Amino acid sequence: MTTVLAICVTVIVTVSVYLMLSRELKSIAMGVFLLGHGANLSIIAMSGSPVLPGGGLRQPPILGDGILVDALPQALILTAIVINFAVMGFFLTLLVLTARNTGTLNLDELALEDPPVASPELEPTVDGGPGGGVGR
Amino acid sequence: MVPVDPALVMAAIGAPVVAGTATLLLPRGRTSLRVLLATCGPLASLLFVGAHLRRYGVASNEEGTTAIAWVPSLNLDLGFLVDGLATFFALLIAGVGVLIVLYSRAYFGSDGPSLARFFPALGLFTTAMLGVVLADHMLLTVLFWELTSISSFFLIGWDRDDEEAVKRATQAFVTTGLGGLSLLGGVLLLGDATGSWRWSGLVTGASDIGSGGTIVAAFILIFIGAASKSAQWPFHYWLPGAMLAPTPVSAYLHSATMVKAGVFLLGRLLPVFGLLSLWLPVVVAFGAVTMLLGAVLALQQHELKRMFAYATVSQLGLFVCMYGLGGATDGHGVSAIDWDLSQIASHALYKAPLFLVAGALAHRVGARRMSELFGLWRRRVPGARLLAVILLAAGYALAGGPGTVSFVAKELFFGSVRHAAGTRPLLVVVAVMAVLAAMCNVAIAVRLAATVFGWRTGVGDAAGASTHGAGHGNDRWGAVLWLPAAGLVLLQYVGGLVPTVWNSVFGRLEVNVNDEAFAGGLPWFWEPFLHPGVPLAMSMAAIVLGIALGCSALMRGQVDDVHDRIYPESYRLILRYGHRAFHRVQTGHLRHYLVLMFAMLLLSISWAAWIDPSMLRLPDGLAPFESLSGLMLGAVVCAAAIALPLVSERVVRVLVLGASGFAVVGLYLVYQAPDLALTQLMFEIISVILFLLVLRLLPRPDRRPRISPAPRLVLAVLVGLVVGWMTLLAGHAAEQRGEEVATLGEFFEEHSLHGSELTDGHGGGGRNIVNVILVDFRGFDTLGEITVLATAALGVWSMLPGRRRHRDGGFPRTVPGVGSPAGIDSLILRTAVQLVFPLTMLFAVYAALKGHDGPGGGFIAGLVTAVGLCTYRMAFGQRAFHRLLPIHPRWLVFVGLSVAAGVAALPLLLGQPLLRSGSATLSLGGEGLHLVSAMAFDLGVLLVVVGVAVGMIGRLGEELNW
Repeated sequence: MTTVLAICVTVIVTVSVYLMLSRELKSIAMGVFLLGHGANLSIIAMSGSPVLPGGGLRQPPILGDGILVDALPQALILTAIVINFAVMGFFLTLLVLTARNTGTLNLDELALEDPPVASPELEPTVDGGPGGGVGR
Repeated sequence: MVPVDPALVMAAIGAPVVAGTATLLLPRGRTSLRVLLATCGPLASLLFVGAHLRRYGVASNEEGTTAIAWVPSLNLDLGFLVDGLATFFALLIAGVGVLIVLYSRAYFGSDGPSLARFFPALGLFTTAMLGVVLADHMLLTVLFWELTSISSFFLIGWDRDDEEAVKRATQAFVTTGLGGLSLLGGVLLLGDATGSWRWSGLVTGASDIGSGGTIVAAFILIFIGAASKSAQWPFHYWLPGAMLAPTPVSAYLHSATMVKAGVFLLGRLLPVFGLLSLWLPVVVAFGAVTMLLGAVLALQQHELKRMFAYATVSQLGLFVCMYGLGGATDGHGVSAIDWDLSQIASHALYKAPLFLVAGALAHRVGARRMSELFGLWRRRVPGARLLAVILLAAGYALAGGPGTVSFVAKELFFGSVRHAAGTRPLLVVVAVMAVLAAMCNVAIAVRLAATVFGWRTGVGDAAGASTHGAGHGNDRWGAVLWLPAAGLVLLQYVGGLVPTVWNSVFGRLEVNVNDEAFAGGLPWFWEPFLHPGVPLAMSMAAIVLGIALGCSALMRGQVDDVHDRIYPESYRLILRYGHRAFHRVQTGHLRHYLVLMFAMLLLSISWAAWIDPSMLRLPDGLAPFESLSGLMLGAVVCAAAIALPLVSERVVRVLVLGASGFAVVGLYLVYQAPDLALTQLMFEIISVILFLLVLRLLPRPDRRPRISPAPRLVLAVLVGLVVGWMTLLAGHAAEQRGEEVATLGEFFEEHSLHGSELTDGHGGGGRNIVNVILVDFRGFDTLGEITVLATAALGVWSMLPGRRRHRDGGFPRTVPGVGSPAGIDSLILRTAVQLVFPLTMLFAVYAALKGHDGPGGGFIAGLVTAVGLCTYRMAFGQRAFHRLLPIHPRWLVFVGLSVAAGVAALPLLLGQPLLRSGSATLSLGGEGLHLVSAMAFDLGVLLVVVGVAVGMIGRLGEELNW
């Protein structure tokens, strides 16, 4: 099973990185959410295969009979899923606002609209000192 | 027994800041009361240190103590070392501090607001200085050291409306602050290398600290820290620059205390690093250069305060040189340092009066420059003659004239140089430099006298001298304008003429008494003349040459210090090149940042593989495809993921994204994770709804040519392969783990229901291990997590503030032609929801109640509830939904967070650890319901999740008017 998971993670991460490198914020958002799946699958792989070497299955992490799977990765992932949800809501709201305020979701156009802060006029006064060059 | 009383020492350190801050509580206008209260601070410190000295005597420098273990794991404790060095400095700081507080009353006049602002800062500074000298733990010293930098910034830039003063304060702060960082680095290296984080421990083990590279690096870093604080070349520029400070500050910081911190540190270090071969050349060289440079520059200043500032620089150089010479030993192993504390005290006793008088002259006579003092003696300004006497008396001590302590001190220093030069002939150069520096000091004194008396050799002339007085400060506090200066300078002469008095005070504090000639204390001032030697010859040479120089026309101009350009120039360069570098790195294109990050990931992994190539080998014993269902689900996940970038229709893309998520749900089931599967299922439903909602609010994509896919693809495949490979290795390692390796998961498994000794007998009281981990073992994490959820929801609500409803209860339409407040008009959907909604809610209740023992829990129940509410809203519209849930979801979030935090904190009130759970079983007829207090915590989680999910979807839905 680890092999299957590893292949899934490879594909998911590849696609999400590919999407994140694109120019559209929407694609980037999809890439980010897909990456969440990849990360979660990668974590659950660390609980080892649920199939026991002799055949048979490990049991879900609820106290009872049989050998249980490792519960810790599951707890971590549960947390991660819920946080993913919050991130997603926030990200999508940002998308809506960006589109509403700028009319575009194209990163190149957005970069043109909002250049990095420092500007060439930022020359200090002759005698230096902090008064001359504090950023604006 | 270690002769240190921590309570007394801490009271001494804390008193000034407490008294200084307490003055803020006094009503405006009570100036006299304010001054008296502020005086109490340093006075109390003085008394406490004095009492400590009286009761416990002087500890040796190996006897520190830890008063309070503060952060032992960081080697940071409140430990103090009250040896002679520390006691001396503490007395000096507190003693001069009292006089400065009084003097500042006269200096600022009855300017209430100024004094109100001044005393707290001064108190903080005094406390910081006392902390520096009394601390035993090295990190504590660094802490107080930084505090002196910070508080001195407030004091130097006290005149906050004067842009220049603020600039100079910043310059001083940055210079000494960077020095403080260097000191921190050195202390960390030293502590790490020796394992001792206390000065006292280092002295005990001084012989075996060795001279390894780390020790040398530590020494150099610490020396840079000390040199920057004590204004050694090339850092000395900040000290004259700081002369824009009010005069009390100059007198206190720049003569008696702050600049002495570096000298103090060298005194602390001498027993530690003194034997290092680098100590003598480095310390002496910097000290000697500073000594001569400061003296030459001082002679050529016309502004009084600047002149005294450079004279201070010179004298600091002398002190540093003196401690440097302490590393030199003659054939008998006798160190070439004697009576160093008297040397330092002597300087404070004439330099502080010089500054105080300079301030008083500016007030009474309006004279800030030498030329304005011309003929001061003959002016008819009240108090002018008194100030002139004090000025000249202090100037005489500056010159080191016979009859003052300073004369003997200079003799001692010359003696040290001669002593050390006996074995190191190169030090003759230092001897010459010392004579030249002393000569400049004499010349300054000569010119001061000539100017004050209006002689022809003085600076300026009668025509240029102003005769008006600036004159305030003539109220009943007027006398404190000159009294402190007079008192301090008087001690110079008492000590110089009657050394027995001096010796009885300082003799017991002195540590470095090496030469037999001085074993009994400072000599009477005629003794050098009775036993003339090289030191006396040097003194006489300096005096004769100095008088000649002072009367001559040489070196009378005003010179600028080239070092004044160091700070502004480096500031300008940093700005210019920092600006360029910033533009190079911060392109503003997200893609560039991402590429950089992914490239770093690839690089670091490649580096790891380079070091350990075995990680590239396929692990043995991989069982590739044990589970057919797993294989199929994996194929679906991969297929959906690959389809995602290939599909161009955006609704289809969202559905494809959802498809991969649902396949992941299946994978969780294969991995025996029912909780995860349920959570992921609900999450996928909600996220598809959210995404589809948002899509309608977004503009259509433009059809411009795409970025060339090839490089993107290469990078993406590489990153994917790396992460996939790591997953394979990690999963494989987990599978091949032997039974004997204990894992955290097993710990949780064992303690999920019942506790053991490891957990003080407290178990989680639940059978569902995942849920117990979430609400019990790692409950604090969960508390943080729901806080994050609430914050994200708050962000959404504040970014998209809701519109007011219309008066008639209707809702405004924001997107024409889309949706309607009445919901989706579908009979099938409404009928289905009517059936499914109650079942959903029922399941949510079940999941919430059983979550501790079976699949379920707060997160799952919350998400299920949210899904149910959202479908209800979709089918019946906003109005029906508002009837169902008449409050804003933020109240759910608020109540949920409060409940969770309350349940978490409740055990604290009962004297138990945070989040400890209790349990009880409730009988419900047949099967008992197992109740655990953690379930109440889970209820809080549930409410937060419902509120956040419903709130976010509702808010975005309202934008669409749906």
